Amino acid sequence: MRRYETIIITDPDLSVEQREPILKRVEDVISQENGYLALTDDWGARKLAYEVKKKQRGYYTRFDFCGTAATVDEMERFFRIDDRVLKYMTVLLDKNADIEKIKEEIASAQKAIETPPEKEPLSETQIPHDAAETGASTTPDTPITSAVEEKQPAEESADAEPSQTLGTQADESGTTSSETTEEIK
Amino acid sequence: MVVNTSRTARRPKRKKRIYHRRKVCRFCADTSLVINYKDPKSLKHFITERGKIIPRRISGCCAKHQRSLTHAIKRARTIALLPYVGSVDLH
Repeated sequence: MRRYETIIITDPDLSVEQREPILKRVEDVISQENGYLALTDDWGARKLAYEVKKKQRGYYTRFDFCGTAATVDEMERFFRIDDRVLKYMTVLLDKNADIEKIKEEIASAQKAIETPPEKEPLSETQIPHDAAETGASTTPDTPITSAVEEKQPAEESADAEPSQTLGTQADESGTTSSETTEEIK
Repeated sequence: MVVNTSRTARRPKRKKRIYHRRKVCRFCADTSLVINYKDPKSLKHFITERGKIIPRRISGCCAKHQRSLTHAIKRARTIALLPYVGSVDLH
């Protein structure tokens, strides 16, 4: 079983009821081929980067599913025929996907949403980092922060260098891009 | 003869002028950054105002990340998240 991700752009003027049959059809096609629809993700109506079928806006929907090549073929055939679908794209995520594993992942992800305090250890690790940095800049010989500092210098130098170069890099790319556009004009 | 000596004298100076700061791939520097075709806001930094992909010599990306970046930008174009040509305002 392969794991795919399909994004479709539908007409933004459709009502929810009119959009329902498309979703229903997608579900049917997937279940026909013994696939598993893991997720339907509604992005809502957003502006398109370019006009598609004379439309400036589109309604994005993302399907995350397991299936075979036949599933994708059938789905895309349907999207091609249906006028309500402006554009579609299927991306292969995983060649050997295990449906049971994906189900477990989704279950654990939902649990994580229900119990949000998992984020706390992250913030805790960040606090000594900041404290050590400020301590090093102001009073390098304070005994309290010294334990943390021992680790710090190597990390700091590694962190600081790329960020510095990043800034200049962004500037350069910015200027060069404007230069090239000027040349074209 | 005179010309020759003056040339050799100039050379080291010129080399200094050409020197550029070594660019570091920002995706290698910060591994938390993920290249994703569904995120046009972050991909926008790697295309010009006209929608062209910024080359590696300017963006400073390593070969691996530039490749995945190019791939992501092309996918985003396919699904109308990024323009093939021209600018787009991402709110």
